[in-house]
Amino acid sequence: MSVKREKAGFEPLYIDNVYVAYGKADVLSDVSMEILPGRITCLLGGNGAGKSTLIRAILGLTPPRQGSIAFDGVDITHEAPHRIVARGIACIPEGRRIFPKMSVYENLLMGAYQEKSRARIRATLEKVYALFPRLEERSRQLAGTMSGGEQAMVSIGRGLMRAPKLLVIDEPSLGLSPALVNENFRIIRKICEEGTAVFLVEQNVRQTLAIAHYGYVLSQGRVVAGGTAEDLKKAEQVQKAYFG
Amino acid sequence: MDLILQFCMNGLMLGMMYALVAVGFTLFFGVLDVIVFSHGDTVMIGSFAGLAMYWWLGSYYPELAVFWMTLWVLLAAVAVVALLGMLTADAMIVPLRKGPPLNTLLATMMLGTVLRESIRLFFPDGSNPQTFPGLLPDWSWQSGNLNLRFDNIVLFCSGACIIALVHLVINRTRLGMAIRAVAQDEEAAQLMGVNFRFIVLATFALGSSVAAFAGVMNGMYYNEINFGVGLLLGAIGFSSAVIGGLGNVYGAILGGFIFAFLQTIGVVVMPFASAYKDVFAFGAVILLMAWRPTGLIAEPASKRV
Ligand SMILES: Nc1ncnc2c1ncn2[C@@H]1O[C@H](COP(=O)(O)OP(=O)(O)O)[C@@H](O)[C@H]1O
Ligand SMILES: [Mg+2]
Repeated sequence: MSVKREKAGFEPLYIDNVYVAYGKADVLSDVSMEILPGRITCLLGGNGAGKSTLIRAILGLTPPRQGSIAFDGVDITHEAPHRIVARGIACIPEGRRIFPKMSVYENLLMGAYQEKSRARIRATLEKVYALFPRLEERSRQLAGTMSGGEQAMVSIGRGLMRAPKLLVIDEPSLGLSPALVNENFRIIRKICEEGTAVFLVEQNVRQTLAIAHYGYVLSQGRVVAGGTAEDLKKAEQVQKAYFG
Repeated sequence: MDLILQFCMNGLMLGMMYALVAVGFTLFFGVLDVIVFSHGDTVMIGSFAGLAMYWWLGSYYPELAVFWMTLWVLLAAVAVVALLGMLTADAMIVPLRKGPPLNTLLATMMLGTVLRESIRLFFPDGSNPQTFPGLLPDWSWQSGNLNLRFDNIVLFCSGACIIALVHLVINRTRLGMAIRAVAQDEEAAQLMGVNFRFIVLATFALGSSVAAFAGVMNGMYYNEINFGVGLLLGAIGFSSAVIGGLGNVYGAILGGFIFAFLQTIGVVVMPFASAYKDVFAFGAVILLMAWRPTGLIAEPASKRV
């Protein structure tokens, strides 16, 4: 797999001894990870393990109560989400979270909200349309009236509109048909090959480990395994986390 | 015939005023999911800020042309009210979002009382009704029973321009897109890089400025204001927003005109008791609600994440 290092150039995202809680009970305890530029790092774990919570912490929606998160050499632990996004992290959130009463086109524009150059917006828009021709056909349609699969395309397309350094994706294949899931993984791989680092949260272990370079396994809010994708394929914690 | 036209004219004037107030209620509900009950009193503050500016200009620049005078009065109202709206949002409503929504309702109601009482106690002779200047020339056309006032026409057209402007801001600008995004999914909007606090402040500045215009319009229309005008205007603006379906800007505008229409009907069918026009209109609103609980322009509740 060829990796264009020059575009990917950022210092890794460091998650360091992070504790996150909603109210009183800790959801994440002592989580440490490293997400490398130009690579796909995956995060595996069952329902309720705390994967989405970690993503919320990275993007500043639920700041950690302890520990720190640093991106590109800067401490972003307590920054507001829009500042974190401005540093080059984009997110395709769990459950799509498209803007239902906006057109497909406006949804994509929202993805490029912080981009000032119209020319660059038009260029990325072309790219996204090339990736999902369906979105171009339906650009005037209200996103809320599209089918589940189409909404997934809107959500992914929206996440690509800013040409981020790091793209965080939370369970993109949830609720998609097997054909669309395969298509999804193909696209994620392509995104990475074009130089964007990807942090992929998935429950689909086999396919995820097939495209990821590195991975971590989260169970009950703790990291129980981590390493290269090859290592994880063999690790028994992965089996345990999923099958018992 | 003339009489009906006259009623229509008056109804349209009132409708415009109510629509301008209702837009604020609906915008605030859109971005923060709260009813800001002090909004009506914010309108009243706008009237008094305009009046204070008029007095000040009158004593220092009595020669000022009518156009500039009106403009300054409007500017004063808008500036004071926009600031007040932003302060309310930033210091009170956003911090209170951590608690139960009822607390916010209570707090904004209390704020309304504080604003009313402050004007009553601290504005010069604030406990008595104040004469509000007509400002514009009092030209009018009379034909039979129909009396068309120049200033009313100007006010109505300006109101229409403001509504058009709000429409443009909401639908054609980047700011408007962000306001809509926050209204539809606050967290998703933040993930796209929207500065939530800025958008909240901008929305409150926008909604409050529009209401400030309604406040000045109210003063110029009745030529009198008092510290309590916000109470009824607030109730009417809120009802209008609810009739139209809270969160929907066009619904709020429609609702404002419907409310004024109902009041006018009340006057027409019960000319012997025109003082009861509000009773009639609010009663009709209750019936409307029973018939269409989600507002006339209904949105499925599930769409509001
Ligand atoms: N907003 C919230 N308030 C309280 N608890 C929450 C909230 N969101 C998630 N949780 C809890 O945190 C735990 C982890 O949730 P989540 O991060 O969504 O897991 P995952 O994405 O791995 O399925 C769960 O036990 C869940 O019940
Ligand atoms: Mg999740």
